[in-house]
Amino acid sequence: MVKADTSDALRAPQEKVGEPPVAELQGVSRRFGDRHALRGVSLQIRSGEIRALLGPNGAGKTTLLRVLSGLVQPTTGDVSVEGVKWRDLSEREARRLLGLMPSGDRTFYLRMSGLENLVFFARLHGLSRQAALHRARACLHEVDLEDAARLSVSAYSHGMQKRLSFARAILVDAPLLMIDEATHDLDPASADRVRQLAIDRASSGSAVLWATQRVDEIRGFAHRVTLLHEGLVRFDGSVPQLMAKAPGRTHVVHLREIPGQRKSARAEIARSALESLGSIASPLDPEDDYVVLSLLEGATLGRAVTALESAGLEVLSCREERSDIESAFLALTGGTGR
Amino acid sequence: MIDAAEQPSRWTVIEEIRKLPAFLRRDFLVAWTYRLAFVVDWVNLFGQILVFSLVGRLIDPSTLPVIGGEQVTYVEFVVTGIAVTTLLQISLGRVVNATREEQLMGTLEALLMTPTSQWTIQVGLVVYDLVYVPIRTIGIVLIAVLLFDARIHASGMGPAIAILLVFMLFAWGVGMLGAALVMTYRRGVNVLTFATSIVMIGSNAYVPVDVLPSWAAWLAVINPVTFALDGLRGALLGGGGWQDAVDTIVILLPIALISLLVGGMSIKLALARERRRGTLGLY
Repeated sequence: MVKADTSDALRAPQEKVGEPPVAELQGVSRRFGDRHALRGVSLQIRSGEIRALLGPNGAGKTTLLRVLSGLVQPTTGDVSVEGVKWRDLSEREARRLLGLMPSGDRTFYLRMSGLENLVFFARLHGLSRQAALHRARACLHEVDLEDAARLSVSAYSHGMQKRLSFARAILVDAPLLMIDEATHDLDPASADRVRQLAIDRASSGSAVLWATQRVDEIRGFAHRVTLLHEGLVRFDGSVPQLMAKAPGRTHVVHLREIPGQRKSARAEIARSALESLGSIASPLDPEDDYVVLSLLEGATLGRAVTALESAGLEVLSCREERSDIESAFLALTGGTGR
Repeated sequence: MIDAAEQPSRWTVIEEIRKLPAFLRRDFLVAWTYRLAFVVDWVNLFGQILVFSLVGRLIDPSTLPVIGGEQVTYVEFVVTGIAVTTLLQISLGRVVNATREEQLMGTLEALLMTPTSQWTIQVGLVVYDLVYVPIRTIGIVLIAVLLFDARIHASGMGPAIAILLVFMLFAWGVGMLGAALVMTYRRGVNVLTFATSIVMIGSNAYVPVDVLPSWAAWLAVINPVTFALDGLRGALLGGGGWQDAVDTIVILLPIALISLLVGGMSIKLALARERRRGTLGLY
């Protein structure tokens, strides 16, 4: 999990009056044949901000990143970087403003070392060989791959390749860093390292656009969230605002066993006690010590626990069955994913 | 953060040209990991010349042309043919496959994400071959001279290299056209290989034009491979000087420039199409 912050949202960067967003999409649509990958998407990303681009598979996240990076042209709509429309920038100018960490692994020359790969790409960014070498080493240091600098990339683990990909994305100090599904198949520790790298970049002033389908990772990490589903923006706001979209909250409540009383009877007592606050789902196993509590709108967990205690039941523990972010995600995307 | 001294310089033609050694180094490092394949390639070359030298024993020398007043042997005749056709095959094959290989490796998008001009990328993808292939071609000639008693005029080496370089521009242009087709249709290397074979058969690479069937002889008359080979043989086997080479280059250069222009435009259109369709990273 993310170590950096356990609050619902990091402190959002201050918006500077008159300063254009680092990147902006206005009514961007993209069609592939009959399929609409993006439909009228508008969003802004500001300096120092981590914006999560959340959505199930096929939501249009990667297409959006590819449109922003100029690898795919939008069917309609405008893309601006640092206040200048893409079409008014030369490709070379635009490329200096963008860093992309693609989702795929196969984006390096596997028979070359990590260092040589970075030096090569740094030279294509216009650095001299000496400067490229210096910069590549600095980036490898930043992603903690110095010891593996001379290893051929084919010998890198999956997590190492992801970090190398991050290192390449920060070879030049691009004001916009786009990261596509960086953690979806990483172990928790590796995923946390990559997230920490993104936080560091945002702290140093870059705007970070973080595409993910992992709802659990945005809490305490992203300043703002754009939820995409079937190419449409279904939500745009802060993480707490997204959590507020959760339709209801469900908790798993562990009740202490009462000697001489059947366990199924406890569920009945709980149901009566919580009549005005929520509902108790019948346990699948009548002899189970756990019941599932769904709170009604406006009801609080504290009042529900008090009601259970007043009815003579002792609550040993209580945990969310599903996070509010996940509930909101499922509600806004119709609970589907492809 | 990047130090001021490390800031990328603004784009200029010089700046773009300075990126080419990075491609050269990249491909050298990759080729170095395939050292065995390199050795096998040279052994194959030797074997190929050996076979032709044996076949040459069955050929009546009077059927071979007299170049610069000298009767050439079949080994001398064919080794120049091998040199040019392998140059064409490797150049074409590399140019056609270079873009496709980048696409398959997933590195094409990474390249296109850098502030590098499309032309630099196209040149960069083959710059190693532009250096290595002429060296390999000279190597073929040297094998024939040192091991198979082929006689060449040392004074013809300079003009021959000049002709080969112009011919490589032609091959590069055709290669880019092929690369654009492969990028667009994902398949097509086989069609290109077939077309290359026809072009080589319809030339004087392995036998004099007089021996060819009528359709191939007709093709040979308009085939740039024939022009290049005539010029190369004139320089190396006939001792033709720079003036003869210039005569050949005057014919080859416009063809090469047209080929480059058509090839470059094709790649540009193919990339633009891929971007429009959003299929650049698909293979």
